[in-house]
Amino acid sequence: MSPDLLAATGLLGLAGSAGGAVVGLRFRIPVVAGTTVAACACGLVTAGGVLSGGGPVTLEVGGIMPLSGFSLSLDPLGALFTAVTAVIGICAVIFSLGYHGPGLAGRPASTALPLFVTSMLLVPAASSVTTFLVLWELMALSSLILVLSDQRRRAEVQRAGEWYAAMTQAGAAAILLALVLLAGHAGGQSFAALAGHGPGMASWVRNGAFLLALVGFGSKAGMVPLHVWLPRAHPEAPGPVSALMSAAMVNLGIYGIIRVGDGLLGGGPEWWWLTVMGLGAISALFGALHSTTSTDLKRLLAYSTTDNMGLVLLGVGASGIFADTGHRALALIALVAALLHVVFHAVFKGSLFLAAASLEQGGGSRRLDDLGGLLRRMPVTGTVFLVGSLAISALPPLCGFVSEWLLLQAMLHGLPTGDVAVAVAMPLGVAVLALTGGLTAATFVKAVGIGLLGQPRSRGAVDASEVPAAMWAPSGVLALGCLALGVAPVTLVPAVLRAARVVTPAGVGDPLRHGWRLGLAGSRGVLDPVLLGLGLVAAVAVAAGARRLVQRGPVRRTAAWGCGREAQTSRMEYTATSFAEPLVRVFDDVVRPNRHLDVSHTSESRYYVESIEYHSSLDDDAFERRGYLPALAALRRWGDLARRAQNGSVHRYLAFGLVALLVVLVVVG
Amino acid sequence: MRAGSYDSVLALAVGAVLVCAVAALWLSSVRGVVRVLAAQGLALGLVALLLGLHVHDTALVATAGVVVGLKAVVIPTLLRRVAGETHSRETRPLVNVPASLVAAAALSLLAFSTTRDVVRLVPTGAGKLVPVGFATLLLGFFVLVARRKPVFQMVGLLLVDNAVALIAFLITAGVPFLIELGVSLDVLLGVVVLMVLASRLRADYGEVDLDALQELRD
Repeated sequence: MSPDLLAATGLLGLAGSAGGAVVGLRFRIPVVAGTTVAACACGLVTAGGVLSGGGPVTLEVGGIMPLSGFSLSLDPLGALFTAVTAVIGICAVIFSLGYHGPGLAGRPASTALPLFVTSMLLVPAASSVTTFLVLWELMALSSLILVLSDQRRRAEVQRAGEWYAAMTQAGAAAILLALVLLAGHAGGQSFAALAGHGPGMASWVRNGAFLLALVGFGSKAGMVPLHVWLPRAHPEAPGPVSALMSAAMVNLGIYGIIRVGDGLLGGGPEWWWLTVMGLGAISALFGALHSTTSTDLKRLLAYSTTDNMGLVLLGVGASGIFADTGHRALALIALVAALLHVVFHAVFKGSLFLAAASLEQGGGSRRLDDLGGLLRRMPVTGTVFLVGSLAISALPPLCGFVSEWLLLQAMLHGLPTGDVAVAVAMPLGVAVLALTGGLTAATFVKAVGIGLLGQPRSRGAVDASEVPAAMWAPSGVLALGCLALGVAPVTLVPAVLRAARVVTPAGVGDPLRHGWRLGLAGSRGVLDPVLLGLGLVAAVAVAAGARRLVQRGPVRRTAAWGCGREAQTSRMEYTATSFAEPLVRVFDDVVRPNRHLDVSHTSESRYYVESIEYHSSLDDDAFERRGYLPALAALRRWGDLARRAQNGSVHRYLAFGLVALLVVLVVVG
Repeated sequence: MRAGSYDSVLALAVGAVLVCAVAALWLSSVRGVVRVLAAQGLALGLVALLLGLHVHDTALVATAGVVVGLKAVVIPTLLRRVAGETHSRETRPLVNVPASLVAAAALSLLAFSTTRDVVRLVPTGAGKLVPVGFATLLLGFFVLVARRKPVFQMVGLLLVDNAVALIAFLITAGVPFLIELGVSLDVLLGVVVLMVLASRLRADYGEVDLDALQELRD
């Protein structure tokens, strides 16, 4: 496979960015969208070639960066992530043609969007430390610009941007340290050199590099407790950008952990991967819980991203443990499950975020309590959101089910392996997976039930109308993808296997039976998505037919859940807050919402209540309140101390200089 | 010139540079300090001249000429012009004169005790005098810290510059002429900039000290 297409990806991205900066408003959006989609297409074709067994594509460009050069090499693992990014990129950019969201047509955002997409396409291809860091930083900065594109109109955006900037830069610093530490001990900065020397390095170097990489990449993947930026930045970004961030950018955090932990360091001791599993489990539960209680549609989706990345980390950790304890086939299966979940998550989360942006544009709000009844008013978008919700709830025959089933299989088959840590970790992992699944289902019952069904709760929802085809088509394609991949995972599994083999121990035969039926070699458990889908269709048909048979005579039509009332208003409906209330009550100690209950009485008697107002908000979560805010307050106090030393007097500054000079003299002399 | 008398004359000239720095700390009238600075320039030129004659280096002798012209004549003249009225004095130094002199003694001791390694590094007779240069440097810095008037800030800066030049002469037996010329021009430029700044300060705030700038802090 020739590297020309890889070069074309980068050049098209740069051209699109330059176009966004130069071209006038009238042609700017077509130019930016055209070049970005073309860049994605080039990336997709290259990645497809690599994934179908074409061998890695390598591109070395000297002269761009002094001293180091720019080196790209796309292997199957990277190609999987590039391909996912390319698909999401194409859909999101086409979506942005119809999106009237704020600021996206502005010059800064149009300049940043092609750079953002292209850097995400190329990060998995980077094959030297400097190349990787430059692309990573480009991705972080351009996404920051995109998050901030609506900052003039809303103050929350600016705060979200501050959190995002701080967290992403801290993460980038950790990654920089990790890779520099490795490069320093490997005596070279190409990934090939790192991978060659990585397994033989001193254990403190390996441990330090892995932990730093876990912190840096984990924060990008929204891993608890480094997730705080995610539920702020993803909702505040313009619709297509939040889809890109949630469906493509977070994946690169996972990529980084796999690439450094499994690839460059060649696997590690059990406690690394137990840590990864533990953090993944916490992320999954915490994200699921918070998405259950969120009333903001995009915030809900953002927390669910943390949840799904937690599940992926669970798989990555399990794979690492299996590899360390010598169960190579299981290691491969767990990693395949994790990677499949990355792909599927991208597809359904992409469709959900795009649909949510459409609902926001159509219904005028993204607060669930302002929506309602949108399935009738925006049928296509509503259906897309419904399909995405089914997929994310891991219901067959949609794609979420396949990866979670495989993850479950890998963990269950790990049980008889005999190791104590495995024996403890795997059942816990299974429990987390199950609980998360339940919470996710509840979350999306809420999102669909409150947002799409029932009666409209606001003027905007009453007047809602379907969005243009440029918007529903891309999200619809992704929703169809959920169905297609769920029915026929056979189309994807060989490619994912090829990707997972890059970083798992060699010498494993084919551990998966992957025809139309998916199963583990040497085990009776088999998943046949087609049969399952047909069965479901048959069951639905039987149920509908039975109802038709049983129900004879005239049907009285009246408002659903009307309790026989003639006039039913939206004030009688469940709200998102009230729907989540029982769950919040169960998990009160973990979630700790800010509650306000205002009861006002009539002036005549205290026995008569005039109105009751109940607000429950979860603007900040427990980690933020207990960990981040105290740390920030301490930093601020330290800063105030420093300000006291800086009183603006020239003489004081000169005295500082003199004292510093004297100290240096004394120390050196 | 015999070796013994060369050494003692050189030591005398270098000592004069240090004495001038102490005097700059002691005096409070602008006019007197500027005169001291001119004397220090002369002493510095003498050091360069002696070194130049000793190693038979005409470039160094020429450097001595430049140093005297610039540091003993041009810059003091400029400073006198900045100082304006003849009887301007430093009335409220941040550190008063007796305390300054004690500090000067302490700083000199510190300079001597911390530069022993440098002395060991330079085997020539001139090398033994390097600590004097460091002492002058610290004293110049101390003038910067302890005096309020803008003119004194310039004096402090020039003392530091003279000290650096002195150390350079003593350690390397003469920096190349071109470099010395460049450094001198830099210093001249610095003085001119500071002059402009000082005169603007005086025009805007009257006869106040630099700490008036504190109001500019955010």
